[in-house]
Amino acid sequence: MWDWLIAPLQYEFMVKALLVSGFVGVVCGVLSCYMTLKGWALMGDAVAHAVTPGVVLAYVLNLPLAVGAFVFGVGSVWLMGWIQKQTRIREDAVMGVVFTGLFALGLVLISKTPSNVDFLHILFGNVLGIPTWEMVQTLVMGGLTLGVLLVFKNDLLLFCFDPTHARSIGINITGLHYLLLTLLSLTIVVALQTVGIVLVVAMLITPGATAYLLTDRFDRMLILAVLSGLGASGLGTYLSYYLDAATGGCIVLVQTLLFFLAMVGAPKYGLFRGGRRSG
Amino acid sequence: MRQPPSIALENVTVTYHDQVALHGINLALPPGTIVGLVGMNGSGKSTLFKTIMGFITPKTGRVWIEGLPIHQAQKQGWVAYIPQSEQVDWQFPVSVQDVVMMGRYGYINWLRIPRPIDRRMVEMSLRQVDMLPLKNRQIGELSGGQKKRAFLARALAQQAHILLLDEPFNGVDMKTEREIIQLLMQLRDAGHTILVSSHDLSGISTFCDQIIFINQTILAYGATQEVFTPENLNRTFGVPLPGIIP
Repeated sequence: MWDWLIAPLQYEFMVKALLVSGFVGVVCGVLSCYMTLKGWALMGDAVAHAVTPGVVLAYVLNLPLAVGAFVFGVGSVWLMGWIQKQTRIREDAVMGVVFTGLFALGLVLISKTPSNVDFLHILFGNVLGIPTWEMVQTLVMGGLTLGVLLVFKNDLLLFCFDPTHARSIGINITGLHYLLLTLLSLTIVVALQTVGIVLVVAMLITPGATAYLLTDRFDRMLILAVLSGLGASGLGTYLSYYLDAATGGCIVLVQTLLFFLAMVGAPKYGLFRGGRRSG
Repeated sequence: MRQPPSIALENVTVTYHDQVALHGINLALPPGTIVGLVGMNGSGKSTLFKTIMGFITPKTGRVWIEGLPIHQAQKQGWVAYIPQSEQVDWQFPVSVQDVVMMGRYGYINWLRIPRPIDRRMVEMSLRQVDMLPLKNRQIGELSGGQKKRAFLARALAQQAHILLLDEPFNGVDMKTEREIIQLLMQLRDAGHTILVSSHDLSGISTFCDQIIFINQTILAYGATQEVFTPENLNRTFGVPLPGIIP
């Protein structure tokens, strides 16, 4: 067992990969609690896909990838809101149209952009080959996101639970809405290297959903989500090393497995305890 | 000095996309009263609540809360909204105490780390509504009446003078309804102004000091025994409602 754990650490790329994916697991774990409670799962998926053209354009224009992702992340949400106001189409359909449209634009741009970067890495992640400067960028952006999430922890919780009350005591809920959206866009950029756009939504939802099955206190939910995000990242990275399989896929598979374990064995809300959340 | 009205609306008109939702609203609700807000669906009850909370800026007219413009009163936390049961996610991972603490957020610094005084206020508010022993319960584990009391405790922790209750009796049994009414009367006697919207016409006339009949505008407003008449019910609902008048 010890050898199993130590052997991969002699390679620098594995140390980097574990560090980055573990850190991403922590950041995504925290954010996933808010995504789960706010009911933003589809929103997370939509924004993750919608940032693709932004990332490609930022690369072409030699800007930080985060800038492109942020502009397209927030822009896509604004576009969805605008279409919904102008038409009679419901929100889920509007999201479907906008995010697939932007994702398609991203794919076209990828296919027409000559580059020495393999854009497939954006789609599926490539944490094993992450260059040092990108690792630093990921750690800095992730640290920033984590810091802001923790500072606004309680305000964001109130925003998810009862925005009407928040507004009635003078808290700027439009500001919080865009703050959460900005953090979502940033986290997507942070997680791109690890799991890629296609699977990032799992990182943004599954740890929170798993923790939600295990507790009915928010602070414990945060801790459990972080632990499951971190654990899945670590175990998934090791598995990908030993199985010689895609790292992002392995991480998300471990997360999914943890979710099903929680679903079956959760003390209060698991399948075999007969516990049900009362409405 | 004469006390200003708790809630005063002067010639308020509200429109949504050029559709008039409320017009010519003039009201002055005295402190320490329970006022019932009665009207059909779509008559502007929710719009009136939102206007009093400062969520909607009237097209014309002004709103005063205890003599202050609405946004100043909002910053003071004077108006509390107690949501309908259906608007709350009861599975949310928060305890009764967490919810009541949310009433203190307007007073706590931006990190929202509670001070000893905030904890004391939360305890006092919980004790006032007889919920202290249940403070660590997850909110979904409460009965209908306890849920309502938890949110009233939040309004007390907020030190709100004005409580807006949206359909508080939806989905609660008769016994719970009586308990809630009892509590509202205690809060009224402690000086709170309480505005209650309800479909339960026969119930509302038994505990409200005043009634507002609304249909885009005020059809009638005054002491319950004066305005709760078959004529006003007929004007408000468009059909005679026999058997409602107690």
